[in-house]
Amino acid sequence: MAMRDLVAGGAACAVPGSSSSNPLGALANTLLGSSSKTQERLKEIPTATATSSENRFFQDVEDPLRALPGAEFEQQPFSHPGGQGSEFLWGFRSTDQNGLADAWDEIERSHVPRPSQANVPQLDHVYDRGPQLQPTVYGPPQRVLSNFLHSFVESSHGGIPFRPAPLPLLGLSEGDKQCIRDRSSIMARHFFADKNEDFINAQVNALLSSLDIDSDAHAKGRLPRRFRDLEDYWNESQGSLRPGPHLADGWISEFSQHRLDHSDPDAWAHAFERQHGANSCVSEFEQNSKFLQFVSKMSRGELIIDDNQVKPAAGPSDWATEYQQKYTGGTSWADEYVRDEVSHGPDRWVNEFATEREQNGSVDDQWVNEFSKLHVNDWVEEFGQQVEEGALGDSSADAWANAYDEYLNEQVAVKKQSEASRGVYVFSDMNPYVGHPNPLREGQELFRKGLLSEAVLALEAEVLKNPDNAEGWRLLGIAHAENDDDQQAIAAMMRAQEADPTNLEVLLALGVSHTNELEQAAALKYLYGWLHNHSKYRTLATTELANSLHYANVARLFNEASQMSPEDADVHIVLGVLYNLSREYDRAIASFQMALKLKPQDYSLWNKLGATQANSVQSADAILAYQQALDLKPNYVRAWANMGISYANQGMYEESIRYYVRALAMNPKADNAWQYLRISLSCASRNDMLEACDRWNIDLLQKEFPL
Amino acid sequence: MATELKSDAIFDLVRRFLETDEGIKLRKKVNLVYQFNIAPKKIGIDEVPYTLNLKTGEVIKGPYEGSKPDATFFISDEDFVKFIEGKLNPQIAFLRGAVKIKGSMSAAQKFSPAIFPKPSKL
Repeated sequence: MAMRDLVAGGAACAVPGSSSSNPLGALANTLLGSSSKTQERLKEIPTATATSSENRFFQDVEDPLRALPGAEFEQQPFSHPGGQGSEFLWGFRSTDQNGLADAWDEIERSHVPRPSQANVPQLDHVYDRGPQLQPTVYGPPQRVLSNFLHSFVESSHGGIPFRPAPLPLLGLSEGDKQCIRDRSSIMARHFFADKNEDFINAQVNALLSSLDIDSDAHAKGRLPRRFRDLEDYWNESQGSLRPGPHLADGWISEFSQHRLDHSDPDAWAHAFERQHGANSCVSEFEQNSKFLQFVSKMSRGELIIDDNQVKPAAGPSDWATEYQQKYTGGTSWADEYVRDEVSHGPDRWVNEFATEREQNGSVDDQWVNEFSKLHVNDWVEEFGQQVEEGALGDSSADAWANAYDEYLNEQVAVKKQSEASRGVYVFSDMNPYVGHPNPLREGQELFRKGLLSEAVLALEAEVLKNPDNAEGWRLLGIAHAENDDDQQAIAAMMRAQEADPTNLEVLLALGVSHTNELEQAAALKYLYGWLHNHSKYRTLATTELANSLHYANVARLFNEASQMSPEDADVHIVLGVLYNLSREYDRAIASFQMALKLKPQDYSLWNKLGATQANSVQSADAILAYQQALDLKPNYVRAWANMGISYANQGMYEESIRYYVRALAMNPKADNAWQYLRISLSCASRNDMLEACDRWNIDLLQKEFPL
Repeated sequence: MATELKSDAIFDLVRRFLETDEGIKLRKKVNLVYQFNIAPKKIGIDEVPYTLNLKTGEVIKGPYEGSKPDATFFISDEDFVKFIEGKLNPQIAFLRGAVKIKGSMSAAQKFSPAIFPKPSKL
């Protein structure tokens, strides 16, 4: 179920027996919940109670069940004590290495609450996967606690005051007690939201005194303030399900405030309730799970936060036992989190999170479902082992932290990209040619001179003035393609096609660009369109074929066409592109070579030949072809970039860098080239220049890597 | 062919590449078996498995027939292409859930766009 449902309560979440339909809010129910769902929540997030606390539970307490207070008005807990008790106590376990994975499986498997009988086999199954689990869990003392707490829950229904009664010593640790105290307070708050505060406190005190937990004056004193806030959260989350940036901001400031509240781990959990926005939840959870590992790493002492930096601590440790030890100590992971030594970390995370929220696009919440289908088991184990062995190295934590910056940058780039890929042309800002008397002519002139980026601007001015100017759009598309930007090329060519649907050059260009983008179906459509619109060959193109384009048929048609007119270079060119689609590279090369015999001065044709050769891994030949193209057109950005690729594919990274830099000097907007440059820089171990690359510092790069 | 994934073209390129000198060097260096479950749109739906066996240099459209791949990636077609082009940072992709990994984490980390040949543009 999606994170959203976890927080806001989807239809499947209506758990009977709980007064709220907010399962995540019912995180507080960890001790009190009787449904498997809440226990799963508990398993997700390591809780205060430790594995070994069970040992203490295992005391000789027989049949206190009948004597429990609150028993008089409900019978349920006693009817199947074994199942409920063990389930419940299973929930007490901190997550071991497999726990997280198990938790996910559990979540996935139970969208609706099931009767306990059904749960037991599940648990057995889960049980088997955890060798650390001790067989003592089915003992009676656990049942005591479970049923006692259960009856507390049930008492909420009748609104009947819960009567305190002495219970046998259950051996709860201090941490456990604190946990129970905190959570039951919150729980009560939710259950009795419609009652007054005194009633709530009375209930809670009754519970606590029965369990021999001091209702800490400190905690009590803080109750009103704390819960007023939480009450607000609760009401807000009930009131509106719309995501709003203000909520997140509020949460973030609240979180910053509460950060220093040492014994307030639940505030965080409850604050999470507010995160019920449409998209944020999943991404939050993603961060949360990665964050979880980050935190558990910290708790293991393998990372230390030192003056706003995360550093790995020295020495490997046995992950499993240390983890257990940590939780034997009875401190909640959230407690550790809010401890002073990590005070810087959360700030940064919180701030980054805030910015990330605003920029976040749609994230698929099916991820949660799909993720759980994987046997995350293996990966989690491996991860633990790897960390132990130090195989991940120092960089991983830093890298994770730094990943946010990159992510933000990427988001911006992705947005731009997605617009163009939808066929929407993106105009440049600050175009000096707008207002020019004849921008088309200017553009053509600039193009002829080889000043591609300038030509683009002039042509943009033209089509802004005359949006139906097919020639303007066409040339704009060609200029972009030569500038190595297929996205914009496609966008411009589509407009050209709208203005002039039968233009063969446009159709061919569209076919080529789509081939480059690996969009085979679209490419086929346009190349077929070329045939269909050609005065000479349209007889070959029947309409029924147009509806079910198969590559083989189209190729056959083109072959027929070439036989009709062997001197028509264009047919060979189209054939060459077609063979690229089917990756019959030898045939493609042959076609292009034939075309070149007829049109040896066509620089674009040389580039096509080179690219074909490069894609069939004949990189040395490719470079020769590119060189021919560049001799004919020195400012042919695409050919420069292709050169870089061919060198890089041969492992000649230093050379490839120079070619990429040259391409970028001519067209700083060539996104592909930036990425490839980056890769080549690291392969050539020129990490010193990576920063220049990230900052788009072309001048520095040119100085460093001249041709 | 109309329903072919974009990744098909990439794997084809890789297959050829692995026969070159550079490719052989890479195989020796990494020497692992990867499987990629490429989904046309959303991860997990209609996946097409590809096996990239750097031990033998095989690139097969199908699941790994041996014991278990060293690492398996679950990713969408578009994202895989972006990955090869260096437009998708592996860590970010993982954080965002754009790629899921199963198997050895260290093996997964050895896979990076740098090791893949890039497609050239017509």
